[in-house]
Amino acid sequence: MQNISLHNYQDFLLRYIDEELDLREIEALLAFVALHPAIAEELESLQLTKLDIEVISCPNKAVLYKNIFPVILEPETIVYPYKQKLFKKEKEKAPVVLLKWWAVGAAAVFLFMMVRYGMLDQKAGSTVSKNSISKNKDAKESPIAVVKNNAPTNNSTINNPDANTGSMGATKVVAVIKNNTSNAMEYAAAQKIQHQTIPTASTVTAHETVQNIPSYNGDIIDVKPTIIAEITVPSMPENDETTETIETIDTEAASSNRSVMVGAFEIDKDKFRGFFRKANALFKNKENNRNEK
Amino acid sequence: MTEKDYNESVLLYADNVYRFIVKNLRHTEDAEDIVQSAFEKLWIHKDNVEPLKAKSYLFTVAYHLLIDHTRKANRITLQESFENDSQTAYQENKALKKVLHDALATLNETQRSLVLLKDYEGYSYEEIGEITKLTTDQVRVYLHRARLKLRNYLISPQQVL
Repeated sequence: MQNISLHNYQDFLLRYIDEELDLREIEALLAFVALHPAIAEELESLQLTKLDIEVISCPNKAVLYKNIFPVILEPETIVYPYKQKLFKKEKEKAPVVLLKWWAVGAAAVFLFMMVRYGMLDQKAGSTVSKNSISKNKDAKESPIAVVKNNAPTNNSTINNPDANTGSMGATKVVAVIKNNTSNAMEYAAAQKIQHQTIPTASTVTAHETVQNIPSYNGDIIDVKPTIIAEITVPSMPENDETTETIETIDTEAASSNRSVMVGAFEIDKDKFRGFFRKANALFKNKENNRNEK
Repeated sequence: MTEKDYNESVLLYADNVYRFIVKNLRHTEDAEDIVQSAFEKLWIHKDNVEPLKAKSYLFTVAYHLLIDHTRKANRITLQESFENDSQTAYQENKALKKVLHDALATLNETQRSLVLLKDYEGYSYEEIGEITKLTTDQVRVYLHRARLKLRNYLISPQQVL
């Protein structure tokens, strides 16, 4: 740095006014000025020559802009009137139930067992219905009411002592109603059979007992659900109508209406429906548990 | 320089250039013409001018336009005319400022321009040298002479009285 002296101080003063000195030069100059009051007055007079900054606006500035003017857009609130129509609601997707392999296997086994035992029960039922014609013990276990016209026999004894009817001859009418009738339809069918058979027997009794069956006392056979009544009626060769009526009530036909053939298997409709109801209830319970979580 | 840069230069520097010219000429209409000419030249050469040097470019062009303008025709007559024209004369409110600007009028164009560029725009000696096409030493010497001349005008017995 050049030393400030009485020969060069003016250059330092002017550079100080022009703000061209660094900090060390400023400090040195101010120290020098402090030592020389005359130079301090000269510094003040030079400071008067410095122009104060004025703010002067160019009057026609707009003509200087080219093409694009710096326009600031004020925020404007515009509401779309039909906004409600634009809202969409996503449809709820049906829950996907993932079945595990063991669940599928268990269901298949369960289905197989149901089908198999259902068929066995059905076969057993049909077997019983066939056997119940001749055997009362088997007929007791069968849920089906069976009335069948047997071949005429000469045996006129009363097989069932509870049945308060006398033997009526060669035709044997057997009404078998299971004691524990769980199925209302079966019970109704049995009742229907009862009303169809017994009046026939009583009609036979009313008109023919006096003439042909001296031992028949004329009472109407009271067939209760718990009673296995075996009624022997006299053979009536001309009574074909009664035989036909009884044959139409054969339970094999009724059971065949309830069964469905699936491939080589015969499936009971009611049991099959019950299986699907149980399976549906299981899935619903799972879904409800999941929704609660 | 893009169109956007140019328009930003108008927004930022038009007032400065106008102040520089109107303080030199003390004639608003001539100052407006020069400012407009300077920006027109910037627009023409915008592809060759970097945005950061737009201000320096504008002052350079305006300064040379100012020199050309003052060298035309009868400069003294022009000066007298705008001094007497109350509508176009730049109005000074304060007495000291008026005296100072009267002192500025006693300077030549180069000295006045140097003072204006230094005090108003804050340019360094080097930057002023680039604008005025003078060396740094020339700027410093001319500027110092202008300061001393202004000071002598301000402390003269006429101004004191």
